[in-house]
Amino acid sequence: MDKFANVGWPEMLLMAGLGFAVVFAVLVLLIFVMKAMGWVFTRQKKAAKAAANGAAAAEEHEAITDQEIAAAIATALKIYKSNLHDQESEMLTIHRITRAYSPWSSKIHGLTQLPERK
Amino acid sequence: MISLLQSDFLLDSVMKFVETSGFGAFFAPGGWKFAVMIALACFLLYLAIKKQFEPLLLLPIAFGMLLTNLPGAEMYHSELFAGGHVHWDIFVDKAGLIDYLYLGVKLGIYPCLIFVGVGAMTDFGPLIANPKSFLLGAAAQLGIFATFLGAKALGFEPNECGSIGIIGGADGPTSIFLTARLAPDLLGPIAIAAYSYMALVPVIQPPIMKALTTKKERMIKMSQLRQVSKTEKIIFPVIITVIISLLLPSAAPLVGCLMLGNLMKECGVVDRLSKTVQNELMNIVVIFLGISVGATATAASFLNFKTLGILVLGIVAFSCGTAGGLLLAKFMNLFLPEGKKINPLIGSAGVSAVPMAARVSQTVGQKENPSNFLLMHAMGPNVAGVVGSAVAAGILLAFLS
Repeated sequence: MDKFANVGWPEMLLMAGLGFAVVFAVLVLLIFVMKAMGWVFTRQKKAAKAAANGAAAAEEHEAITDQEIAAAIATALKIYKSNLHDQESEMLTIHRITRAYSPWSSKIHGLTQLPERK
Repeated sequence: MISLLQSDFLLDSVMKFVETSGFGAFFAPGGWKFAVMIALACFLLYLAIKKQFEPLLLLPIAFGMLLTNLPGAEMYHSELFAGGHVHWDIFVDKAGLIDYLYLGVKLGIYPCLIFVGVGAMTDFGPLIANPKSFLLGAAAQLGIFATFLGAKALGFEPNECGSIGIIGGADGPTSIFLTARLAPDLLGPIAIAAYSYMALVPVIQPPIMKALTTKKERMIKMSQLRQVSKTEKIIFPVIITVIISLLLPSAAPLVGCLMLGNLMKECGVVDRLSKTVQNELMNIVVIFLGISVGATATAASFLNFKTLGILVLGIVAFSCGTAGGLLLAKFMNLFLPEGKKINPLIGSAGVSAVPMAARVSQTVGQKENPSNFLLMHAMGPNVAGVVGSAVAAGILLAFLS
C-alpha cells in the first residue's frame, strides 16, 4: 500500500510502544473508576449494615425489656394464683390407657409378618 | 449410430462439457491448488468433527473453505471486495450466495453481533470485585504488539502487521473485525489461525506457565472475592461503554456491543432479549460468519508463504500474551503484602479466549495444590482481556486505517 511506503522500523516501534501504553493507560483508568465505584458501594453497604445492626440492637433491647416485664407479670400472677388454695376437687381419675383392637393396625395381620413354615 | 459416435461434433461437445465442469478445472494450469485447498478443508472438517477443535466455528469455516474452492461453483468472488471496499456497481450482476453473506463481515456487522451474545454470556463480577485484574488483561496484550513487530520483521505491510498482531488478543470476533478493515486479503488465514490456536490454548499455555513460575508461586492461595451488588453490575457496562467510546471511538462498536449484551443480562428486565442474543442470534451469526470467513480462504490467497508466516506468528502472539500476563502478576507480587499476593497463573488468563484460558489457570493451579480454586480469580483477567483486546483493536484501527 502506498500510504505505508514511508513507514519504517522507527514508526513501527513507536506505534507498538504507544499502542501498548494506551491499552495500559485506558485499563488503568478503568481500575480507578472501578475502585471508586467499589468504594462507594462497599461504603453504602457498610453504612446500611451498620444502620441495620443499630436498629436490630435497639429492637433487641426493647424486646428484652418487654420480655422481662412480661416475665415479671407472669411470675407475680403465678405466685398470686399458687397461694390461692380455697377448694380442691380431691378426685383421682384413671384414664384408659389401652387402645381398642383394630385389624387396621394389627401387627398380626401386618404385611411385615414373615411367613411361617408349618 | 456408429457414424454419430465418430462425429467431431459429439466429441467437441463432450470435451466442452468436461472443460466447463468443475472437474476440468483440476487439470487446468494451477488446478492442483484447488485440490490442495479441498484436502485442507476436509482436514479442518476432520479436526472439527473428530477432534472437536472449536467445532462450532471450525466446522462452518471449513465448509465455507470447501465451497469457495470448488471450481465453477462461483459462490464467492474476491474481486467484488478488491481494494478493501465493496464494488457495488458489479455486485448485483456477479455476486454469489457467499458474497451476500460476506457483506456482514465486510461491513463489520457479524463480529459486533457476536459480541452482543458474548457480553450476555459473560459475568463481569470477578473483574468488578478485583479491578486489579485489568492490569493483567492489559499486560496480556503484549502478544498483540510483539507480534505486530514480529510481522514487520517477516516483511509484512504495516496494516497486515496490525491484523496479524491481533491474533494475540485470542479473540476471534475482534480479529475478524480488524482484519476485515485493515487487510481483508488475509482474513481466511488469520481467522483460521486465531480459532485454531484458541482451541489449542490448553496445549500452548501450560508449558509457558510452568516455565515462568515456581512451584511455590503456583501454590499461592488467593483470598475470596467480595460480593458484587446487582447495581454495580448494571452500572459497570454503562460506565465502560462511555469511558472507552469517548477515549477510543474506533473501539466503540466492539465495546458497545459487548456491554449492551452484558447490560441485557444483568438488568434482569429483558430476559427474552438476553436469551435470544445468547442462543438464537449468536448461533445464526456464527453460521454466517463461519461460512463467509472460510470462503475467503481461496487457493490464491491461502497457498503462499504469507499464510505460513501468519501461522508461525499466531503461536508467537499467544505465547507472548501468556508470558506478559504471567510476568506482570509476578511483578505485582513484589509490592503486595503477604496474604494478598496474586497467583501468577491467573495472569495467563489475560489473553481473552473466554473461558478456556481461565480453565487452564484453574487446572494448572489445582495440579500443584488440589485445594486451590483459581477459576473465579482467573475470570477477572480473562474478561479484562476481552476489553483489552477490543481497546487494542481500536488503537490499531486508529493508527492504520
